[in-house]
Amino acid sequence: MEAVNGGGRTKVARGLRTRVTCLLLPFMLSVVAPAAIAPAAIAQETPSGIEPTDIWSEEYASGMFPWGGNAQIQFQEYHDYESTKARMQYLADTNPDIISFHEGLFGGLNDRGQETSLDDYKGWFYNNPSPWVKITAGVENGDYNPFNGDAGNYPDRPDVMLVGNHHAREWMSYEVPMLFLETVAYYYGQAGLDNDGDGLIDEDSWNGIDDDGDCLSLNASFQDSNGDGVSCGPGDLGVDEDFSEQYITDLVDTREIYLIPILNTDGLIYDQTEWLANNCNGATTANAYEECPRSGWRKNLRDNTVTGVTPIPDLDEAVDEGCDGVDLNRNYQFEWGAPLGATGPLIPGACYAGVNNDVYNGPVDTVDQDGDLRLNEDHVDGKDDDADGLVDEDWLGGNSEPETKFIQDMTEMNDDNNDGASDFKATLTWHSFSELVLYPWGHCTDCESPDHEFLVYHGDQMAQMTLYENLQSSDLYPTSGDFCDWHYGVHNSYCYTMEIGNNFHENPDDISQIAVRNLGVPFYMVEIADDPRFRAVHGLENMSARHWIQTPSEVSIPEKGDIQIDLCLDPYFPFSTQEDRSYLSWRFVEPNRLQNDYGPTEWREVPWEKAPFAASGDDCELKDGTNGTVLTSAVPIPDTSVGKLQYRAQLGTTNGAFPFTYPTIEDGGNYYELTMPYRAGFGSAVLAVLMFIFIAGVVWGGLAFLLRTMFDDDAPVLSLPPGGHE
Amino acid sequence: MSSSSDQFSGRLGLIFATIGAAIGTGNIWRFPRMVGANGGGSFLVPWVIFLFLWSIPLVIAEFALGKRSRTGTVGTFRIFNGPKFAWMGLWTAWISTAIGFYYAVVTGWCINYFQTAVRGGLGSDVDTTEVWNTFLQDPSQVILFQTLAVLITMAAIWKGAKAIEKVNVILMVSLFILLFSALFLAFIMDLNDGTLDGFVYMFSIQPEYLLEPETWINGLSQSAWSCSAGMGMAITYSVYMRKDEDTTLNAATMCLANNSISIIAGLTVMMAVFSVVDDPLSAVSGGSSAITFLVLPEVFAQAPGGPALQLAMVAMFFLALSFAALTSMISTVELCVRNFVDHGVNREKAVGLTSIAIFLFGIPSAATWILVDESTGVAFPQFLEVQDHIWGYGLMFSGLFIAYAIWKYGWSRYKVWQTENGIEGFSMRDYLDHGVSSFRDDFINTGDNDWWIGKWWDYIMYLGFPIMFVILMGTFFVDMLVTVEDPWNPTNPKGITIILIFWGITAFLFISMNRLMLVNRVVPTGKSGFPMCLLSGEYVLEPRPLFRNVPEGADVPIDTLPGGEDPFILKVGDPIPEIENQPFAVSGGSVMDAEIV
Repeated sequence: MEAVNGGGRTKVARGLRTRVTCLLLPFMLSVVAPAAIAPAAIAQETPSGIEPTDIWSEEYASGMFPWGGNAQIQFQEYHDYESTKARMQYLADTNPDIISFHEGLFGGLNDRGQETSLDDYKGWFYNNPSPWVKITAGVENGDYNPFNGDAGNYPDRPDVMLVGNHHAREWMSYEVPMLFLETVAYYYGQAGLDNDGDGLIDEDSWNGIDDDGDCLSLNASFQDSNGDGVSCGPGDLGVDEDFSEQYITDLVDTREIYLIPILNTDGLIYDQTEWLANNCNGATTANAYEECPRSGWRKNLRDNTVTGVTPIPDLDEAVDEGCDGVDLNRNYQFEWGAPLGATGPLIPGACYAGVNNDVYNGPVDTVDQDGDLRLNEDHVDGKDDDADGLVDEDWLGGNSEPETKFIQDMTEMNDDNNDGASDFKATLTWHSFSELVLYPWGHCTDCESPDHEFLVYHGDQMAQMTLYENLQSSDLYPTSGDFCDWHYGVHNSYCYTMEIGNNFHENPDDISQIAVRNLGVPFYMVEIADDPRFRAVHGLENMSARHWIQTPSEVSIPEKGDIQIDLCLDPYFPFSTQEDRSYLSWRFVEPNRLQNDYGPTEWREVPWEKAPFAASGDDCELKDGTNGTVLTSAVPIPDTSVGKLQYRAQLGTTNGAFPFTYPTIEDGGNYYELTMPYRAGFGSAVLAVLMFIFIAGVVWGGLAFLLRTMFDDDAPVLSLPPGGHE
Repeated sequence: MSSSSDQFSGRLGLIFATIGAAIGTGNIWRFPRMVGANGGGSFLVPWVIFLFLWSIPLVIAEFALGKRSRTGTVGTFRIFNGPKFAWMGLWTAWISTAIGFYYAVVTGWCINYFQTAVRGGLGSDVDTTEVWNTFLQDPSQVILFQTLAVLITMAAIWKGAKAIEKVNVILMVSLFILLFSALFLAFIMDLNDGTLDGFVYMFSIQPEYLLEPETWINGLSQSAWSCSAGMGMAITYSVYMRKDEDTTLNAATMCLANNSISIIAGLTVMMAVFSVVDDPLSAVSGGSSAITFLVLPEVFAQAPGGPALQLAMVAMFFLALSFAALTSMISTVELCVRNFVDHGVNREKAVGLTSIAIFLFGIPSAATWILVDESTGVAFPQFLEVQDHIWGYGLMFSGLFIAYAIWKYGWSRYKVWQTENGIEGFSMRDYLDHGVSSFRDDFINTGDNDWWIGKWWDYIMYLGFPIMFVILMGTFFVDMLVTVEDPWNPTNPKGITIILIFWGITAFLFISMNRLMLVNRVVPTGKSGFPMCLLSGEYVLEPRPLFRNVPEGADVPIDTLPGGEDPFILKVGDPIPEIENQPFAVSGGSVMDAEIV
């Protein structure tokens, strides 16, 4: 067991000894479990300096998964193409109600009017179709889709596509989907499991936070089990470890999940066998991390010198690493083409090993798809470029590879309700590396999609789960023809690219914790697949409901100058800094100067004015107790004014979809009202006395003078002109 | 009908009566509010200026009119503007009386607060809002005190000028004493914290306010209302002047006295409020009359010197307020009564009728449509407020009619001069020399006055007044347009349309009545009596005699005036001429085709 707790990170020892231990663990645990729970309960009462085994089951504390199996299945060694396929097959066989196993597509007449067959979806080189599983309750029932070859199609179930390994060397990108598959297979249909053996049930679900505080209760040296420098963050033992099995069951019962762990079978096989051997000191998957952590084979194995339109035959048919292959994630059709983040087109028959060869996007299309004798005149961009009434019907290129055809046909032929639109409203693809969540667009810079803030919203949620950074794809680097631009641009599917980890070939010791760290993401995507846009709207509304604006009693009125009014903002809220979208509305209502004598005070109606918000840099506590950031606004009110300052805030979102106003209805009304006292001085005593003397002199003095004149019979007539009357 | 003329006993009597009329609740609750809302000392500048530009000149005109016509408003306009315009007097009388309907209710509030104060009901431990709401929402209480106000008023004017004079002297002298005492206490209060901030604020000019038109408009309107100039009240009281009474110095004295009281009351309120309330300007400038009944009792209850002095302070204040209201009430009722008496109605009967009318028509204001302001929880009388809203600015027309009398007389004298000198065609120079100044020459500078009025008065009446009138009317309507929601909706009680409707109906009715009821009277000739005979046409119009209250030996010729040739305008005690011989006798005709005389 010393291997388990070695050092600050979970060093799961490799080798036969551990493997045997792992296999035996479930058995051992069943014996020791009653004894293990008792000290855990005691340990929780004294939370300082405790060890994982004090609070958790031995199994969980050692980072083992409950489904047993060998080191691959325990995510301590990498799967390869064959073992992945075998495991998928096995899980489908053992869970036939919810999982069906498939390879490639059967084909037929596709959505574009092309006849295809299974062969069209097999890799160029090793001739393997991509293995995939369909996950849904009653997967053998429901409608049968003869093109895709899957049953279990239900028009009322939202569909979600999860794709790993576009890029061969990005190994974690198929390990994460495999962990997802294992998790679904193991936990489906169960409820109320105590995953970590702490006696609590479903107390810590996927959100990137140690909800139950068990990790935080550990001795500090155990709090960062994945060694990423963050204590009790995503991927650490004790964080998001006890999710709800019912949640998984519900998702499987109500969604159709298309899980494609290895899209690029050719590339993966080549990377793990030929490339490592040839380019990496003969390394294997087990030690690729030491030798070549950040290099490897990326593309598929298209033979750019012989296949396709190339007229010159490549006699040996071997992979030419300097030339062959297409970057599958540049081969989708939406805005396909160079120059953004892709190379190509290559000169037919020629090949060059330029720096961008790794992102070759495939050959230019040579077919006049619409038969109008014009070639490639209507590029896939959602617009009718040639104004012939058809959209995107004669494309420039892309979709040239078996793997991308597989994705595109699967997408386009999956239309359970026959409404002409693809069923996939949410799509996810895994890549490595950089610890990012990416959302469309990729093909343009300084641009925003129409759903920008909603995409940001979901991206933020997944970024919080993983402690990754949420970015627009093109902000990392521009890419044209990638999976997500196509899904979002053509099929209006909310599509995310997870950039997992920090290497292509991660240390096998880290497979498990990286996969665990990313496990919540696919479930999140499955969950939102019903209506990602609505869920974003709803989520933003919930998020916005945590904001608050200072009530009148919270606003402090300074002796002089502007009135500062603060709003506590969720830092993740996609608030617009544009002054016409986010601002403090205020008006200063004064008593009407022409006041009625008998009714209630009349107030002068004045139009609302706008004061901009500025980030003050201060922190505040949102309504739910989480951290917010203070936006402040200065309202100019003269010191001499007396009346009511009415104010409300409007927060616009970045794409202007909403204005949220504060105070909310729950806060009680559409604006707050702050009574403004007179703040200026009352005046100078000396001047006041002078003024008093003047006024009193005129009025009282005048009166006295008149009275004297009146009763003085000898007084002359006032202001009588000489020779005037009388 | 009295057989001899009714007069004040002396100059002081006249002055006290007119001061009593001028000083009302407006001096005590409206003036401090205006000072607070319009920048303290900044407000006093236009207020003093318009005292000389508006109040004094208009009161001089009123005194001159009444002293010559020796009748109430209807008679005065019949004489000065001609028989076609007697309705102007009716309008003036009606506006004053319509205000009197609810003013009696307000006077009742004041009296009630006085008695509540005396009984210790306004101590420091009292929730003044509750006191106010409880009172206002109890119709029997409000009507009780309204009745009391009407009865006191009735008693005061029952006997005519001499009684009015006596009551006014007593009430005014008491008012001065009460207010001075309150001022003294307020001074002590304000000085308690080492500063006289109420005093300082009230007399500090904030220059920015002087640049705002509202300050000037408010200064003008405060001058226009507070002094009762143009209301017809001075016309009415001048009927009781002795034959050689001064009109100009008295007018100025009355207005200056009114403003003097405003300063005293304003200082009292400001100093008291500033000494106690945290945010004095909100309290002073924020609201309506209700503030007087909410804030001031609370403030005075914190006066120094213990409960006895506090009680004295509250009681004194509300007694002063009651007196101010009562003297104004007296002038209001007298204005109406005088018109009846002028037309031969017995004084006691006229007083009785007017009092009953004021009581009855005041009941809706007293007891109906009492609402509670949602934001403050303070009750307010919506019906009363609407009445004030409708009739308050009607006063302005009374002032306009007075100006019209002056303009008309000037023009007619100019025409006479032209005829006498055989000059044709308009010449501004001649008009200025022989027209514009004639009213002043003939009716103001008569030799009885201690103050000779110069040309400035002509400028004010011919140029200043129309400008000020337009500004006041204009801002009144523009303010409504801007601040009132849906001002053109006739059902909006605070709108413009409702005002125009009521003014229109009243004016139409009065103009129609001019021929039938004011200068003539309808005598049914058939079976149907009045008013059914108007429809059947079976009636004749007989000239209605008008009795002038001319003192013995006074020389008050009216033959140069538009209505002066009318043989049915008589001195009290003169016999009524034979109707058959008079050109004013008109045979019957239907209302529809009858022309206004």
